[in-house]
Amino acid sequence: MLSLTLGTMITITSNHWVTAWAGLEINTLAVIPLISKSHHPRAIEAATKYFLTQATASALMLFSSMTNAWSSGQWDITQLTNPPSCLLLTAAIAIKLGLTPFHFWFPEVLQGSSLTTALLLSTAMKFPPTTILLLTSHSLNPTLLSTMAIMSIALGGWMGLNQTQTRKILAFSSISHLGWMTIIITYNPKLTLLTFYLYSLMTTSIFLSMNSTNTLKLSTLMTSWTKAPMLNTTLMLTLLSLAGLPPLTGFLPKWLIIQELTKQEMTTTATTISMLSLLGLFFYLRLTYCSTITLPPNSSNKMKQWSIKKPVNTLTPTL
Amino acid sequence: MSLIHLSFYSAFTLSSLGLAFHRTHLISALLCLESIILSIYIGLSLWPVQNQATSFTLLPVLILAFSACEAGTGLAILVASTRTHGSDHLHNLNLLQC
Repeated sequence: MLSLTLGTMITITSNHWVTAWAGLEINTLAVIPLISKSHHPRAIEAATKYFLTQATASALMLFSSMTNAWSSGQWDITQLTNPPSCLLLTAAIAIKLGLTPFHFWFPEVLQGSSLTTALLLSTAMKFPPTTILLLTSHSLNPTLLSTMAIMSIALGGWMGLNQTQTRKILAFSSISHLGWMTIIITYNPKLTLLTFYLYSLMTTSIFLSMNSTNTLKLSTLMTSWTKAPMLNTTLMLTLLSLAGLPPLTGFLPKWLIIQELTKQEMTTTATTISMLSLLGLFFYLRLTYCSTITLPPNSSNKMKQWSIKKPVNTLTPTL
Repeated sequence: MSLIHLSFYSAFTLSSLGLAFHRTHLISALLCLESIILSIYIGLSLWPVQNQATSFTLLPVLILAFSACEAGTGLAILVASTRTHGSDHLHNLNLLQC
């Protein structure tokens, strides 16, 4: 855990490519044992997939920085001048973050890891590549980034529709939120940061509340009201906030992003991504419906089954 | 000098293609990953030679240290997957399907 913070700090505060790469490698190496801690076959498989994808992404990033260094003579992160290097770097960071078309590892890896590790994977591990994107955003190709972002939002919505495992649903929600973050990065990077912070806050509260009731499937979610009723209502609010409904906090980044896109004369893009996030709204609503509004078909009991961890998140949806 | 550049660019491209198209064994993917890092290492070692700047000779050593850690982790994952799945065939890694 400490090496995770170390790796993140190294990458964030770096201005030389090799220190950024070193921080990312430290992060990857530190999180692999966290994924494979339980020695379950699914966990080992998730660790394998995670390791392969992240290692190739790191190597690709190093290669792009090396070609940039050979063609321009310097190793500064903010000065990427070689166009093939920019393309390779965009591909590398897309693999690391899980943007489409490189998103295939993400739901499976989240499914194979425990809930707290999945939380770490989807919030903390996304932070260093996002900072690298922010540092280099002025020299990357906006068309490519916008295309990947729109495809991410589309795929995140579509593929999440048929899922019943909560970790996979959260993986697809993560993919579509990443799409929202990426679409604005070349125009207003501060909005990307805002989206990232709010997204990580909301996702943290959802993961922690799921962790305290141990809901891994949709059917478990239906009986979670017996274990901690107050937690269930706040879970509902947080889910709707993640979907982006207006009076809740999750609507704020979407609103600002759409405003910024219309300022840049990209109204068709803004309309497209709003329509595509309706797909995500469907599965968030289904989660809300299953957890709070309906009663389960199987028998439920009012017994508290195990000790409940502190519900920290009763406050976060009200932010 | 551009012949040497071509050699390590092509080494990198071939290794990454090998990584993308690995078919049956996990260990071939790990080997291709190592050759990617090796081609980057060789390309990076030419930098202080050509530019006569000896302060940059630390970079390949640093990269080598990190890639050795990564190779060790990859091998540990290989061992763990062989213990749980029985072999390192990639067909067996299908427990996490939708």
